[in-house]
Amino acid sequence: MLKIVLAGAVAMPVAAAATIAATGVVVVDVQEPRGGHHLVIPVPLAVAQAAAALVPPQKTQFHLGSQAARYLRVAREALDALAEAGDAELVRVEEPGQEVSIRKEGDLLLIQVRERGQKVDVRVPISLARSVLGSGDRITGSQAVWALQRARLTRIVDVQGPDGERVQVTVY
Amino acid sequence: MSLRRIGLAAGASMLVLGASGPGAAEGTGGWVHVRVEEPGRQSSVAVNLPVAVVEAALRAAPDTVVSGGRVKLGHHGRDLSVADLRRMWNELKSSGDAEFATVEEEGQKVRIARAGDLVLIHVQKPLDRDAVRVEVPVDVVDALLSGDGEELNVRGAFALLQKRRGDIVRVNDAQSTVRIWIDEGK
Repeated sequence: MLKIVLAGAVAMPVAAAATIAATGVVVVDVQEPRGGHHLVIPVPLAVAQAAAALVPPQKTQFHLGSQAARYLRVAREALDALAEAGDAELVRVEEPGQEVSIRKEGDLLLIQVRERGQKVDVRVPISLARSVLGSGDRITGSQAVWALQRARLTRIVDVQGPDGERVQVTVY
Repeated sequence: MSLRRIGLAAGASMLVLGASGPGAAEGTGGWVHVRVEEPGRQSSVAVNLPVAVVEAALRAAPDTVVSGGRVKLGHHGRDLSVADLRRMWNELKSSGDAEFATVEEEGQKVRIARAGDLVLIHVQKPLDRDAVRVEVPVDVVDALLSGDGEELNVRGAFALLQKRRGDIVRVNDAQSTVRIWIDEGK
């Protein structure tokens, strides 16, 4: 009997960990400046997806007017075309004290901003963006949560402030 | 970098390539490049976009500007109607290489001419400080004026323009340079 209880005690966390690993985890890592707090908040994607599924759809839907809905179609077509295109630096803006770069590397759109000690790096999988935009004339919050599944093993956000604070969001 | 310059670059790139048909983009696979430089402010903007992306983006143009790939010039046509322009063009294009117009005013010289398969629009200011140089293939102008009434067939014109490789627009003025060109590279 004790063996069964022990086996169950070991198996359940292992199964839970395996499920979380299989479904993904979003880790938000916040480092405050000058040795301040360091917060690491792991959010299992399965939990976020379950929560999103429980929220009534009308609460998470962004209704778009007919004009905005047309832009949504345009954005989808532009993303589809971009996905087909080769890798390249799409935009570079340089000014004294500021640099902005948008590059395409494989399925990733890399957005890099450097401005007076601040560094912002955003990595958006095109497939994620495409998934968020869906196929209808509306965007829902749950679509965005489910789309994170397409960003596994990607540091999607990395922001560093001039005095050392840093925020990273990584999807594992 | 002034918003006006960035807007000019973005707008020009969209105008150069955006209104073309999807088939043309797939066929040419070109990239449109825009460079805006303001040496005095040590600023620059570089945009490199696949034709297909620009095309898709241009579909967001408001209905009042582009409708089915055609631009309406006012409700009744102002100053010079498209129909008049079309009639003039049909007479001029058969004349071969020629100066269509030369205007000199307050030191500025505007020259519109045909040279081979190109329509050249050059604007030059005193001492070569400022210059605008636009080169448009004749068949693109033909396509542009192939619409009906007061409409310009922008989509048809730029479907042809996409096939062109090389410089489309160069603007040099005292503060900045703008270059728009199309090639196969990134």
